[in-house]
Amino acid sequence: MFNVLIASLPYLLKGAQVTLWLSLVVVSLGTLLGIGLGILAAIGNIFLRTLITTYIFALRGVPVLIVMFLGYYACPALGFRVNAYIAVGAAQIIYIGAFVAEIMRSAIASVPPGQVAAARSLGMRRFTVLRQVVLPQAARIAVPPILNNSLTAIKQTSYASIVGVWELTYAAREIVERTLAAFQIFLGVMAIYFLICYPLSLAARWSERHLLVNH
Amino acid sequence: MPMIEVRNLRKSFGVLDVLKGVSFEVEKGEVVVVLGPSGSGKSTMLRCINHLEDYESGEILVDGAVIGYSTDDQCRRVARPEAVNAKLREQVGMVFQSFNLFPHRTVIENVMMGPVHVQGVGRGEARELARVLLSKVGLASKAEEYPSKLSGGQQQRVAIARALAMNPKVMLFDEVTSALDPELVAEVLRVIRQLALDGMTMIIVTHEIHFARDVGDRIIFMDGGVIVEQGTPSQILANPSAERLKLFLRRYQGDYLAA
Amino acid sequence: MDYAAQTAHLLIREFPQLIAGFLVTIGVASAAIPLALILGLLLVVPRMAKSSAIAGAAIAYIELMRNTPLLAQIYLIYFGLPLLGLYPSEFTCGVAGIALQHAAFMAETYRGGIESISPQQWEAARAIGMRKLKVLRLVILPQAIVRILGPLGNQMIILIKDTSLVSAIGVMELTMTAKMAIERSAASAEIFVAIGAFYLILTTFVGAVVRLAEHYAAESN
Repeated sequence: MFNVLIASLPYLLKGAQVTLWLSLVVVSLGTLLGIGLGILAAIGNIFLRTLITTYIFALRGVPVLIVMFLGYYACPALGFRVNAYIAVGAAQIIYIGAFVAEIMRSAIASVPPGQVAAARSLGMRRFTVLRQVVLPQAARIAVPPILNNSLTAIKQTSYASIVGVWELTYAAREIVERTLAAFQIFLGVMAIYFLICYPLSLAARWSERHLLVNH
Repeated sequence: MPMIEVRNLRKSFGVLDVLKGVSFEVEKGEVVVVLGPSGSGKSTMLRCINHLEDYESGEILVDGAVIGYSTDDQCRRVARPEAVNAKLREQVGMVFQSFNLFPHRTVIENVMMGPVHVQGVGRGEARELARVLLSKVGLASKAEEYPSKLSGGQQQRVAIARALAMNPKVMLFDEVTSALDPELVAEVLRVIRQLALDGMTMIIVTHEIHFARDVGDRIIFMDGGVIVEQGTPSQILANPSAERLKLFLRRYQGDYLAA
Repeated sequence: MDYAAQTAHLLIREFPQLIAGFLVTIGVASAAIPLALILGLLLVVPRMAKSSAIAGAAIAYIELMRNTPLLAQIYLIYFGLPLLGLYPSEFTCGVAGIALQHAAFMAETYRGGIESISPQQWEAARAIGMRKLKVLRLVILPQAIVRILGPLGNQMIILIKDTSLVSAIGVMELTMTAKMAIERSAASAEIFVAIGAFYLILTTFVGAVVRLAEHYAAESN
């Protein structure tokens, strides 16, 4: 019943490895980028703020697939002779950055202004206020949405297959086009994705329950 | 030299003029109580004194040093650098209506924040200092609790201890009992009264008229962005001359005029 | 200036096809959104059932949709149904895949809205003698609807963006049209910037409509 799946498992697991690596890289770099940009958007001067909010607006309004295609085609056009993984990976990093930046910016904005007033009244300089008072509180607010966003990003790595990047979903489609065993293979692939994603999903739910309740 | 000098302070929020030329002085050790209806600008004025608020014109001096903006010899306004303002804020303690304790730190850590992160005091020393201050406000037993576990009155007392930890020359109180349940007000006022007895220079913005009489050396009555009347409690409260003040007193403590 | 003129020329030439693709994208979204909304409603009922077996089945479905990529689901439908002797069009497969996944998220949104209504509302209504279903219809749902308009709107925008995936199975929507335009010309990145603009206009428009609806609903309550 599942003979094709079992036979293809080694090939699929290689694909899963690529998916895992890709996910790890884009989620960590994208999240770091987003956190940095979000903080800048919250505290920077008006020029910086406008720039970053425009970037956020533009990227959040388009499908990740478009950004991936853009990265794939724009890289050689701009003179970067990189392989597809880097081109599409960089595109996804920039995409994730926009979402995390918005999460971070919004989290910082939701720290009550009285907190900043109290900190400044003690003589704290701006940077200390940020580090000791605002960011710790913003972080608690931001962690659940960031975890959820990471979950989405992992699933979105599968879209890279449409652009021509070889990972788990690409491998699956290859096998199905050859063997026609659609149910076995795609159900098997969904199971693999499930195993990768479910722990993160649980972590996100746990963080929602525990971090968003007042200390 | 007065501890605090405010000269011709003017501030607007857009088209709304909130402060229309406020001037007064506070001597060292004096307790000045600022009374007035909501919208009179008294809280805004307080926040201008430690430059938490910007203002359009005027000069503010804390212990002789200019804070916020200064006027150069060509009468142009020059903003003081943020470093200077921050340093001056160390000498001006402020307690807020909504306490504003840091929820992610324990009570004692809240009190330690200023000394450790602004004055560079070592953690051990800061902890000892914080313990002493918490005893002073009667909350030594709550040192390791988080603010959310404390009542409003307790949180406000911690806020006072936190401000005192910086060893300020002046304490500013911005309607510190307005957000408290009535039965919790007394414990906070007790602490403030003790501070006054210890000789702290204070500006207290409040509604509590009886307390103003208790603790205040001088009362300033503000309305519509200007100082309408000032004087000692016995002068002002027993014999108010301005109509607006009479109205205010009648509204907030009807029987007071008879006393 | 030569580059700008060239690009403008290219875009004008491809414009009719891009518009056609845009309309197909709107078509896919217009079919998938009502489907997802209704399926979500059908899903939230078992999800909130007292029986743990029934609720468990719904939860399993929702977790499956939440933890597997939409693309895999679309491929499953597109490549799998022919094995069962069914040959629906690519359009149908795409719409079905999108609707089935988003139904799960809609169900969770509905559930969040219903659960956010304080149980005291239930008690108060029951106390004056209303039957359960009537309570739901007259007291709970009107309040819940206002609260979920925002999240629902956001889900719809995500759905619109997800329509780009059906290009993988050959539906001639905007992304697919762009890919074909690229095969015809050299200026590839520019085409994708252009369709990015198309999507941006669409999502911004829908976002504005949702905010308007939220505002209107909040007022009328």
